[in-house]
Amino acid sequence: MKRFISVLALIAGVTGLSISGPASAACDKVTISDMNWPSATLMAHVDRLILKHGYDCAAELVPGDTMPTGTSMIEKGQPDIAPELWSNSFADALKQGVAEKRLRIAGNSLSDGGVEGFWVPKYMVDRDPSLATIEGIKRNAKLFKHPEDPDKSALYGCPSGWNCQISSGHLFKALKLADAGFKLVDPGSAAGLDGSIAKAYERGKAWFGYYWAPTPILGKYKMVRVDFGVGVDTAHWEACISQAECSDPKPSMYPTARVITLTTEKFARRAPKAYGYLTKRAFTNATMNSLLVWIGENQADGETAAVHFLKNHEMIWTRWVPANIAGKVRIAVAGL
Amino acid sequence: MANQSWISEFPEMERTDLVALRKLLDGAYRDFSRSYGDGVEAFFSPLLHLLVWFEKLLLATPWLLVLAVLVGIAYWVSRSVKLTMGVTLAFLLIGYFGMWDDTMRTLSIITVATLLSIALGVPIGIMMARSDRIQNTVTPVLDIMQTMPAFVYLIPVVMLLGIGKVPGVIAVVVYAIPPLIRLTNLGIRLVDRDVQEAAVAFGATPMQRLFSVQLPLAMPTIMAGINQTIMMALGMVVIASMIGVQGLGQPVLKSITNQYFTMGLLNGLAIVAIAITFDRVSQAYAKRSQRHLQGMHGD
Repeated sequence: MKRFISVLALIAGVTGLSISGPASAACDKVTISDMNWPSATLMAHVDRLILKHGYDCAAELVPGDTMPTGTSMIEKGQPDIAPELWSNSFADALKQGVAEKRLRIAGNSLSDGGVEGFWVPKYMVDRDPSLATIEGIKRNAKLFKHPEDPDKSALYGCPSGWNCQISSGHLFKALKLADAGFKLVDPGSAAGLDGSIAKAYERGKAWFGYYWAPTPILGKYKMVRVDFGVGVDTAHWEACISQAECSDPKPSMYPTARVITLTTEKFARRAPKAYGYLTKRAFTNATMNSLLVWIGENQADGETAAVHFLKNHEMIWTRWVPANIAGKVRIAVAGL
Repeated sequence: MANQSWISEFPEMERTDLVALRKLLDGAYRDFSRSYGDGVEAFFSPLLHLLVWFEKLLLATPWLLVLAVLVGIAYWVSRSVKLTMGVTLAFLLIGYFGMWDDTMRTLSIITVATLLSIALGVPIGIMMARSDRIQNTVTPVLDIMQTMPAFVYLIPVVMLLGIGKVPGVIAVVVYAIPPLIRLTNLGIRLVDRDVQEAAVAFGATPMQRLFSVQLPLAMPTIMAGINQTIMMALGMVVIASMIGVQGLGQPVLKSITNQYFTMGLLNGLAIVAIAITFDRVSQAYAKRSQRHLQGMHGD
């Protein structure tokens, strides 16, 4: 059967695109960036399956990461789609790319937005509810021992080079954590940060640091976001805390991060129907968290997770596509 | 149909079985780290103290003094004015471009890792040279150490020991020690059989033979091994920084994720400068010690 289809495809290729429908003619080859964290890779695989089976695109995945993929989309127009892009980690280039008509924001891929902040394990808050506030953390600084300096306390910051390193650094200053004996630890990479959480959590030890949701780590290890007691100061955030140069940062909670589906302008023009799907494709944090927990429990890869999602959450994805396309996808997925 | 497809498609393990196996092993590791983690951490705490102490020493000492000591060692070991000038210039430039502190951090971890590699590697190499069975067991282990992607064992180590210097040193040593072991083994095995027989004929005990004949004659090869170890250790600096080791790796990491090419290049060049310094100085030392040996032959 597979061979038969590929022969058909070959004929279609040789005779021009006369056999295949208009959707395929407009869409043909689509590249989707498969970024290396679970929710993004899930979305990439869902997009690939829907575009391939529903819209007859020759959709393929290319490995990516926020910065390199975003830059390549602006400079080279490739790949066509970045399914989950945290807009504030790419803010300036994104703004410029959209203004220059090279990029187009299809919609929010996480409809609730991303939640960032400083977190402590839930079991610590259960024992001492005051640890859910920054004042309580500062009072109990001794609990959060620095790994290499026994006299100091540790705040695990954001990995090197990520944009959140800027904001977490400024907040460290604004919250006067150094006065309470804290030092900002650079975990070096997301894997390092995850490892430090896993180490603390498995042994019921103290941990205090930056993290974000929805993520498998926060799905698996229950954590509480620390309240800075000041709410969100959006204006100050944009003017100062999120900027590299910010001489006098003031405390503010992390504003909700906008998480978008980004496409190139060329793709949006070339394949308006497929683009239409991307404008609607959005996950709530609750859905995403439950999927991430499922992925973790089953150690599933992106493809398996996407098939699981398409098979078991029809209520969600059938709202993203017209009925006839949903039918095509459903038949194709049933055979996987 | 499904039964015949094993010709065209590999008869792979059932996905559910594979997942069960993966979960079983992961669970076992988690239980291990839960019950023995504190003990393992205590075992490595002297190493951590050494690392912290040495880094603090390098950072707290005035730069002029550190530079003087470095240049002094370079001259004392190599006796070459040209080389000493080169080292001075390289470190002055590093300081001028604002990379002094990070360079000191990297220097401290690389020095400790190299010393640890020598302390472990040379004896292992000697044991390998004396027994074919040990050689046959150790060689595949060395192959694994050199090719296994670092993150495969790093993240489990992080779960056990937390992020920071100790897992960093472990990663560096695992990657950098194999050439030293291999070359120590090779160097001793290549020592002329006639010379060894002569030593035996003069009534040398095995220990005397090892320390007065085999090791001195193998020294150039062992030095080449130490050299490779230093080079490879420096190559691991960026990987180590990905688990929170401070030093030149962190700015490199930062610059590649932000595409600050100049910053990446400068810090990369600082790593190269350290590497070349170590390399030239140790080679000059090896050459001198060899000359000295040849002189003894002439007597």
